[in-house]
Amino acid sequence: MDDSDEALMARIARGDERAFRALASRHLPVMLGLARRILGNAADAEDVAQEAMLRVWTHAPRWRPLALFRTWLTRVVVNLCLDRKRRAPWVALEAAGEIVDPALGAGENAERDERERLVAAAIGELPARQRAAIVLTYGDGMSNAQVAEILDTSVSAVETLLVRGKQNLRRALDSVIDKDE
Amino acid sequence: MNKKQLPEFLEAALKRATQPPPADDAAVERVLKRLSGPLPRQKASLWRLPGVLLDWQFAPAWPRVAALACCAALGFVIGIAGFDRRFDGGGAPFAVASNGDIGSIVFEPEALTGARP
Repeated sequence: MDDSDEALMARIARGDERAFRALASRHLPVMLGLARRILGNAADAEDVAQEAMLRVWTHAPRWRPLALFRTWLTRVVVNLCLDRKRRAPWVALEAAGEIVDPALGAGENAERDERERLVAAAIGELPARQRAAIVLTYGDGMSNAQVAEILDTSVSAVETLLVRGKQNLRRALDSVIDKDE
Repeated sequence: MNKKQLPEFLEAALKRATQPPPADDAAVERVLKRLSGPLPRQKASLWRLPGVLLDWQFAPAWPRVAALACCAALGFVIGIAGFDRRFDGGGAPFAVASNGDIGSIVFEPEALTGARP
């Protein structure tokens, strides 16, 4: 039996709950991770992932395979994240874990950790669309065209989002540069 | 870190900070459990409606045609004869020629000459 995403969606459109559970199991881990990186909050990420999967179920009869299912689902998750009014605390480093470079001394490692924490905090302070563009580009390695498709905007608008996002991050890191120089 | 090192550091730090987290099996299980309940009603797809209409078989089956023909024949007979008239009684269209007064009309003598046809 064909168990591609598109085939499962066709079965879901006919009300097949087993196909829905199979599709949800396949995509939930990645979508949860994406929502968590954009929202910076595990509980909200679970809510968004659940809502996205319910939309897969309810919209399946209307869904047409014009784009890859994965792209469509990513767009749903990103839009749900952007729609969230409440801004949750950013906890990216908790998920990323400690990054220790054995070539550096303890002091240098601590200094670098501090900078990384600053970057993570600054990402959390970015406007939602800039943060989404940065997560999709740097975290998932998507091209600007792919990010534009997901954010439903143009490639140049994505480039602007990335440039402004990085400008904001540089501004947030200014204090560290001044201290070092 | 100085200003020259900043862009390079920023690129690397962004990649590290936005890396996908390791799969959280417990969270996945929790969401799947929440999804295992009764699912909401699916939204109907309007774009499929023309296809559904095209798939409909409008050709009636022959018993229905026979029943329709019988009903039509019965309606015709009832419409011609009517429920309120006898078939051989007065007033029936095919009984007119046998009425007595019709003969007297036809064979009535000529008013002036008194001749009979």
